[in-house]
Amino acid sequence: MRKLIFLICALAPLMYLQAQYPGYKPIADPAKFKDEFGMAAKKTTTIKSDFVQEKNLGMLSEKIISRGKFWFKKDDQVRMEYNQPYQYLLIINKNNVFVKDGQKENKISTKSNKLFQQINKITVDCVQGTAFNNPDFKINVFESGQAYLIELTPVVKGIKEYFKNINVIISRKDYSVNKIEMYEQSGDNTMISFVNKELNPILPDALFAIK
Amino acid sequence: MRYLLLSSFLFLLGCGSVYKNLAKTPGDPSCILKFQPQFTKVLYNTQVDVVGKHLSGVLLIKKMPDSSTRMLFTNELGFKFFDFEFAADGRFKVYYIIKQMDKKAVLKTLRKDFELIMMQHLDFNAAHILKDSQNMYFSFPQAKGSYYYITDRSCSTLVRIEKSSKRKPVAIATMQNYSDGIPDSIGITHTKFNFTIGLKRLWQ
Repeated sequence: MRKLIFLICALAPLMYLQAQYPGYKPIADPAKFKDEFGMAAKKTTTIKSDFVQEKNLGMLSEKIISRGKFWFKKDDQVRMEYNQPYQYLLIINKNNVFVKDGQKENKISTKSNKLFQQINKITVDCVQGTAFNNPDFKINVFESGQAYLIELTPVVKGIKEYFKNINVIISRKDYSVNKIEMYEQSGDNTMISFVNKELNPILPDALFAIK
Repeated sequence: MRYLLLSSFLFLLGCGSVYKNLAKTPGDPSCILKFQPQFTKVLYNTQVDVVGKHLSGVLLIKKMPDSSTRMLFTNELGFKFFDFEFAADGRFKVYYIIKQMDKKAVLKTLRKDFELIMMQHLDFNAAHILKDSQNMYFSFPQAKGSYYYITDRSCSTLVRIEKSSKRKPVAIATMQNYSDGIPDSIGITHTKFNFTIGLKRLWQ
């Protein structure tokens, strides 16, 4: 009997992990995945994609859906252009961020804004394949037949107070990012799905220029 | 001496109420109820400027099954700024507010501003009506000052709303282009300090 209880206790965390993400199980060989993901990411110098962002507001049983276009260029250059249902432009270029909403343009130095810097780093790390080297997170990897799920759990102040965890879903086929899921402590979440992806198209630097 | 008289005159003028020349007029104050927004569920593109800081994003306003109204403001990327509940009985609850905005004065201002435009707890028994050559002023006395819902002479168009001290407006709001009882654009500007809110309806 004691053995059985011991066995159940030993297996419980594993069962919990499996149950956490339906269809996913903890990855058999994390080191191998890390290498392969890193190698594939190295080969990806540019990405062009459409995206759909879904903000789920649990307590209000509502969602806010927005759409737009996404561009990435190595190193650390991201452009996100929201065009539905609102216009919003975000450019990340190294340590600088440029945002333009309906009315105002704003340049932000991420050096002066810690949370923005941390969030900015996630986006770039995810598409660049360097998420594993980010010391702000504890990392677990899961796999299914079609995809990998990288679970990033924040361990540093600031970001920890806002996010429970951030999951990045990676395609098994080409190691590109399918989806970023950001779970907030409040129970709400934001899902960004990337569709119509093009890997390594030619992208002019002007797309990422901050004037 | 002349300057003293002049400055005393200006001082007195400065102290006078901007509403003192309005004439009392009979009428039914409940005619303004048609301007009360019917926020069943609506999204607004939102700009907030507060003492030099600019915030933009989406404001979701939703009437909940318990008749309370929730207002949730997130930025375009999905980061939440605040989540408020205006209960049907007038109580106010903060579910969430970012640290930078979590100040008594900010919360009080936001609460009062939204209550002004929601028009939910107006005491029609205490209301009185004033007019000038162009407009009607539906006045609702508050603990400090009054709310004025200002319409054209026939009470068919809402011109603006003023939240006033005894003498002059401290905040001015507009609600325009209603469809299905919901205004397409809402603006709130404070006169004493730099605080403006601009809302433009979004269709998902």
